[in-house]
Amino acid sequence: MMITRSLVSVVDDDESVRESLPDLLREFGYAARTFSSAEEFLASDCVDQTRCLMLDIGLPGMTGPDLQRELKLRRQQIPIVFITAHRDEAIRTRVLEEGAVECLFKPFSDTAVLEALNTALQVN
Amino acid sequence: MDLQREAPEDEIKRLQRCLNDLVSVLALPAMWSGREPAQIVDRLLDSLLGMLQLDLVYVRVDNPAGGAPIEVAKVAPSQNRMPRSEELCKAINQWCGTDPQKWPPLLRTSLGDRDILIVPSRIGLHAEIGVIVAGSARADFPIQTELLLLSMAANEAGIALQEARLRSEQKHVASELDRRVAQRTAELAQANEALHLQVALLQKIPVAAWTVNPDGTTAFVNQSWLEYTGQTLEFVRSSPEAWMSAIHPEDREETARRFWDGIRTGQGFTMEVRCRRLHDGEYRWHLNRAVPLRNAEGKVLRFVGTSTDIEDVKRSQEDLRTAEERTRLIIDTALDAVITMNVQGAITSWNKQAEVVFGWSKSEAIGQHLSEMIIPERQRAAHERGLRHFLATGEGPILRRRIQVTAVRRNGAEFPVELEIVPMRLGSDWVFSAFIRDITDSKRAEEKLRESEFNLRQLTETIPEMLWSATPEGVIDYCNARVLDYTGFSAEEIMGGGWMKLLHSDDIAETTRAWMSCVRTGAPYRVEVRTFHAADFTYRWCITSALPLRDQQGRILKWHGTIVDMHDWKCAQEELRNTQAALAHMTRVMTMGELTASIAHEINQPLAGIITNASTCLRMLAADPPNVDGARETARRTIRDGNRACEVITRLRALFSKKDASTESVDLNEATREVIALSSSKLKENKVILGVELADDVPFVTGDRVQLQQVILNLLANASDAMSTVDDRPRKLLVKTEQDEGDRVRLTVQDAGVGFDPQTAGRLFDAFYTTKDDGMGIGLSVSRSIIESHHGRLWAAPNDGPGATFSFSVPGGHKAATAADSIRAMQNPPRTDGA
Repeated sequence: MMITRSLVSVVDDDESVRESLPDLLREFGYAARTFSSAEEFLASDCVDQTRCLMLDIGLPGMTGPDLQRELKLRRQQIPIVFITAHRDEAIRTRVLEEGAVECLFKPFSDTAVLEALNTALQVN
Repeated sequence: MDLQREAPEDEIKRLQRCLNDLVSVLALPAMWSGREPAQIVDRLLDSLLGMLQLDLVYVRVDNPAGGAPIEVAKVAPSQNRMPRSEELCKAINQWCGTDPQKWPPLLRTSLGDRDILIVPSRIGLHAEIGVIVAGSARADFPIQTELLLLSMAANEAGIALQEARLRSEQKHVASELDRRVAQRTAELAQANEALHLQVALLQKIPVAAWTVNPDGTTAFVNQSWLEYTGQTLEFVRSSPEAWMSAIHPEDREETARRFWDGIRTGQGFTMEVRCRRLHDGEYRWHLNRAVPLRNAEGKVLRFVGTSTDIEDVKRSQEDLRTAEERTRLIIDTALDAVITMNVQGAITSWNKQAEVVFGWSKSEAIGQHLSEMIIPERQRAAHERGLRHFLATGEGPILRRRIQVTAVRRNGAEFPVELEIVPMRLGSDWVFSAFIRDITDSKRAEEKLRESEFNLRQLTETIPEMLWSATPEGVIDYCNARVLDYTGFSAEEIMGGGWMKLLHSDDIAETTRAWMSCVRTGAPYRVEVRTFHAADFTYRWCITSALPLRDQQGRILKWHGTIVDMHDWKCAQEELRNTQAALAHMTRVMTMGELTASIAHEINQPLAGIITNASTCLRMLAADPPNVDGARETARRTIRDGNRACEVITRLRALFSKKDASTESVDLNEATREVIALSSSKLKENKVILGVELADDVPFVTGDRVQLQQVILNLLANASDAMSTVDDRPRKLLVKTEQDEGDRVRLTVQDAGVGFDPQTAGRLFDAFYTTKDDGMGIGLSVSRSIIESHHGRLWAAPNDGPGATFSFSVPGGHKAATAADSIRAMQNPPRTDGA
């Protein structure tokens, strides 16, 4: 059986996240792509292949929740794991209500990431 | 001698002698020739006494002109006892009588003690020439020969005397002629000299003179004319009009006409013509006059004329006329009525203004009595009395000074005038000039002014403010009652230099210095000074200020000042300052609270990297086989992110430092960058597009870094908030630093937000004023306090487009801002342009 790695796309304007997170994702067995803005992601050819989106809330220009709404409008059912450095429960609650799989506060542990990805991709 | 006893030889001898004597007598005329009768008589007597034996001899020669006769008497030298000649003559005249015609031929008489015989002989046929009297005491006297000799001598003498008389007459006539000739000669010489003088005079007198013949030809011109005109005598005589070549061409025709009229009528002429002066070629005005010289019958012999240079006279006349005209103009255009009056009190001149003021025309006024024209009836007697008194004594108490009196117009209306009478000597008489100014208007204005002054004084005395004024030299000359009430001092105590008594002793020196400086420069005066308050015996803070009142030339006329008790206000300010300090602290704390989220964000970012990398690293090492290269790379990134977190913490430490207001050299660009770094996440969150333009060359400012950063943070936060509801345009925010004028640094924060209502612009910086739902409204108020404590200025201005621009400007490199400065800044807020 041919194992195709599922693609996890990371959208964050913080470079350290874009550098570190893909390595961890690959360790977990995923393919990873990074984007510094929501617009860049939407413009890429990865939208359809993305099995999970790790999305920063505070992005310049189109924000994480904006992208969430945009994808919903486009009927793209991509599971979204929000990541934010802003520890704001209100925002977390709101994005979860909007259908996000998880909202992780930076800094997050590797296990928290793995759990969120498992939830998102419903890996048992 | 006895003739009877004579011998013949004696007779011959006697006759011989007689003949000799006769010859001698006949020879006498030769001796007498050319002699004067007196000499002839003298010689005759001597000859007779010598020839005849006589005791006396006398000759009388009558003067044919009827004068005194010549009488000479002589006696023989032997008769030394004879009387003297004069007595003898008298005696002979007594003997013979005065008429020789009646004389006897022989007379016996006595002379002295002797008898004597006297024989008179006539000279001339009827003794018309004179007589000779011979006398002798001899008894035989006279013998015949003696009579013959006497008669011969008388005859000869008569001829000689006749000749002498004739000769004397001729001589007299000749000398008379000589005398007359000499006299005439002298007279002629004198006349000649006078003539010479006259001619010389005529030639040399400094007036051109000339004579003209009745036919108009020139007879004579003097040297003055020739020298003046350069003409020669020949030229002038060459034709009657030759002399006119010296006349100005424009005057020649008229000159010729008048000249010939004068000659023809025999009246002569008088005319003024311009005549050319040789030495400078100038045509000068001359007065030419000619009068006829007539003989006894009235016939014109000559015309005599002169030509006088009257240029200077004419000029001075012209000058005089101009001067008079000017004087008249000045007097006529004078603002005063100018009237002159003679000693009789009659008006002699009356200028235009006098016509205006009194309503009488010049022609009506001249000659009238001044008192009747302009002086009210009841005062006329006094006027006349004053005039008489002055003329009698030379005293006039109202003369030569301005006095205010009442005058009367033509219509009978009385009005106030200012009058000055100046007496002047004109020849032997006095003339009085009166300068009169209608002061009805100024009197009215004066009353108005007095009234308004009274009102003003009332105002200044009742106004519930302390007012004072001072002279341009700074001497207090007025204080209103409020000042006196407040201080408890009397006006006399305060006036002049006494005002210093009102001040707290610690403030006197500085206040005096400030006041004198303002007096010197004219700058507005404003000091805060502790002033004595009588009501509670304390010194209270007052603002004393004054402004100079200037005239049109800018000279200070007066200082007007106020004193305002600001003690309570100052206390309130102090309280407010304390409150604001507290608020500032509170804001700082609050701002920090707000920042906590940002700070967490800033730290969480690198932390996220660190933890992720560390986790990955561990997993790579735990793999089989371990991914050492990947682990090394992630470990390296872990360290880098760790350092990044450190930097964030370092920046935060500065912001969170517990230091109180401090003073240091602050690079405003750096401070701004830090604030931007700390705010960036919040700005990003608000979708703010941030532009940063920091000028490189701005100087450092001295002050409290944290306070300044708080202000910047506040401005950024406000800008961000102002754009939170903006969705129809980019939320652009521009932060800019630049060098401001005067070595200042300006920081500008420009947003594209909702802006502010210009109506409420003034309240933007008020504490607790806010347009935000969740704002406390102290941010801008505190920010302004901070900037002002840095000697700076914070203001707001609406943009041309949407949004607002907030700026502050602080001096570069100024001295340390101290707590005292902060207080002062809060107490004396500077102008709030645009805010």
